[in-house]
Amino acid sequence: MNTGTQATSASPGVVGGGETAGFGLRVPATEAWGSDVSEAQVETVVHELSGGGRLADFFGSVEDEQLVLRLVYGFEPGGGYRIVRWPAAAEYPALSEIAPAAFVEECEIYEQFGARPAGGRPLNRLVVPPHAGRDFPRLGRAPAREPGPVHAPHYVSGEAIEYPFGPVRAVAQESLYVGLVTSGEEVIDLYLLQWHKHRGLERRLQGLDPQRALFLVERAEGLSAVGNSWAFCRAVEAIVGIDVADSVDRTRGVALELERLYNHAAAVAALAQSTGLSVGQAQAEIALESFLRLNAATFGHRYLFGVLAVGGATRAPDAERLRTELPRAMGELRRVVKALKSTNSFVDRLEACGIVPPDVARRLGLVGPVARGSGQDLDCRRDHPFGPYLVHPSEVPVRQDGDVLARMEVMVEEAEQAAALVNDLVAAGTGVGVSPASAFEAGSALGWCESPRGESLLWLALDGEGKIRRARLRPGSVRNWRAFDDAARSRNVFTDVPIIEASFWLTVAGFAR
Amino acid sequence: MAIPDYSTGEGQVLARLREARELFGRSLHIRTIDTGSCAVCESELRLLLAPHYDLHRLGLFFTPSPRHADILAVTGPAVRAMDVALHKTYEAMPDPKVVLAVGACPLGGVYQEDGFVHGNLDQVLPVDVFVPGCPPSPLALLHGLLVAVGRLSERVGEMSFVAQAGGDR
Repeated sequence: MNTGTQATSASPGVVGGGETAGFGLRVPATEAWGSDVSEAQVETVVHELSGGGRLADFFGSVEDEQLVLRLVYGFEPGGGYRIVRWPAAAEYPALSEIAPAAFVEECEIYEQFGARPAGGRPLNRLVVPPHAGRDFPRLGRAPAREPGPVHAPHYVSGEAIEYPFGPVRAVAQESLYVGLVTSGEEVIDLYLLQWHKHRGLERRLQGLDPQRALFLVERAEGLSAVGNSWAFCRAVEAIVGIDVADSVDRTRGVALELERLYNHAAAVAALAQSTGLSVGQAQAEIALESFLRLNAATFGHRYLFGVLAVGGATRAPDAERLRTELPRAMGELRRVVKALKSTNSFVDRLEACGIVPPDVARRLGLVGPVARGSGQDLDCRRDHPFGPYLVHPSEVPVRQDGDVLARMEVMVEEAEQAAALVNDLVAAGTGVGVSPASAFEAGSALGWCESPRGESLLWLALDGEGKIRRARLRPGSVRNWRAFDDAARSRNVFTDVPIIEASFWLTVAGFAR
Repeated sequence: MAIPDYSTGEGQVLARLREARELFGRSLHIRTIDTGSCAVCESELRLLLAPHYDLHRLGLFFTPSPRHADILAVTGPAVRAMDVALHKTYEAMPDPKVVLAVGACPLGGVYQEDGFVHGNLDQVLPVDVFVPGCPPSPLALLHGLLVAVGRLSERVGEMSFVAQAGGDR
């Protein structure tokens, strides 16, 4: 049963009223509700919602030549998602002063739609390259003035230098520019430029058929292909009224947990590499390769592309291969984790390295293993359950330390649970099949999924012909990169930066999309 | 441009590899560059070093510096924002050099040409070998690398190694 999403009509005022008194938190679990507010009410509403909710996303959309801004709030656990929208003028109230998690999105809305928060606070450049002209393809109007430098103004006195690193970095790493401000060893400041990889996916998706769009959604962030595309499929299915059979939803669950397994194994390999432990790296890569081969054996693709379809799943897992090969791959992962955790030189590098304090994680609205390593008890498989997770709950590992070790422990525990979940789902029976749509009508819906990098949100609006009017992709990477500079600055040295990057295990592709 | 010939017998591949090893003194270096990939091709490239594939046993190495590189392995649909970095990397490589296009993106199979991407790597760099696949598996990458090695050894044969007036070749 597809009980996870509720479509909200595109016509105004259908769900909820404009009154702030209507913003009680009595939202049915597992549903996304929308409300219209006026620009004058926005600040009050954000104050109220930020009290009990978590700002999960903030984005714009041009509707009838009018920019409409939407805030997505998550209420955990079990409170559902709440969407607030209002028609915005060229300047709207500065929400990041109330909810700091909105700042990156304020920059994005300025870049893409030309509307900026009031108050004149400097905005950063995110994905539009600095040499892009006014005719660079955007989702809306180009801003009146180019955004300023990417890092907040800061002064460094003494002997500090800025060390430019990137966009071409270490071998087989994604393109990313890292501006390292250092006195020689300590990281005084760090900022990132991520516009090198912007492929304009949200713009590209407009006007596409959902089934065709799925191909690109999978490739927005290939290492979270299942997580992102499941969120996408659920949004489409909510709008056009498709009920996915339970057994087919379990197939999707198996794919998602296999994705989590190989990603967490890859993160362990990256941690071993960044700490210079070649043997540990090689052993973790043996586990990683086993998981990838298991993916290929059960679903026909090493990175699980093409498993999900709008309305179902195209391939059923090979239960026999899973039964024989998953325990073996897990054994390899356990062996290397045990060896690494009993290696003092490894654990010493991880402890107290790259700390994201719990209050920072909450303030910045982090998700996934990064948030859970910093005391945030969040997992939308449990908090906003959908599909197979309604009957197959998983425990959420949480650590309070917020350092690299805490993030690794969260990932390792999650991998154990993912393997157990795969077994449960396969035991319950997995099916294959694609259900057709029952009704085609214009509408919008929010889809969500817990990808290996955390909550992946996808807000989608379809027009009357079933084509995409606006697709808002918000993979977990979009939220978690914003804590990277904080983590890198916290009393770390140069060589800690790759370790912190490995423990975040994000992609630039997902951020710049 | 050469597309890997999957009918190539193992013996021929090994012979070609031996030839390349002699030419390059068992030290052939690869620089990778990402022009907007989805991060999956990077994952497969990294796995070339994993014990299952172990690139080093073939005398092939990754190098962080383009100045030491013989092969440029490019992933992604040639994002325009990477043009400068891509050309600087390519120019920094000494001759002879070959370009290996990794995956469906640089082949033009994922993104169409528009304001964001060139959509096909051939428009920006002279591609020698395309390795198809989304992503190409590590074995397909190994095969593509061996084809690239063949191209490289041909190119060395064409070089005069005598400085020509006005040219740096």
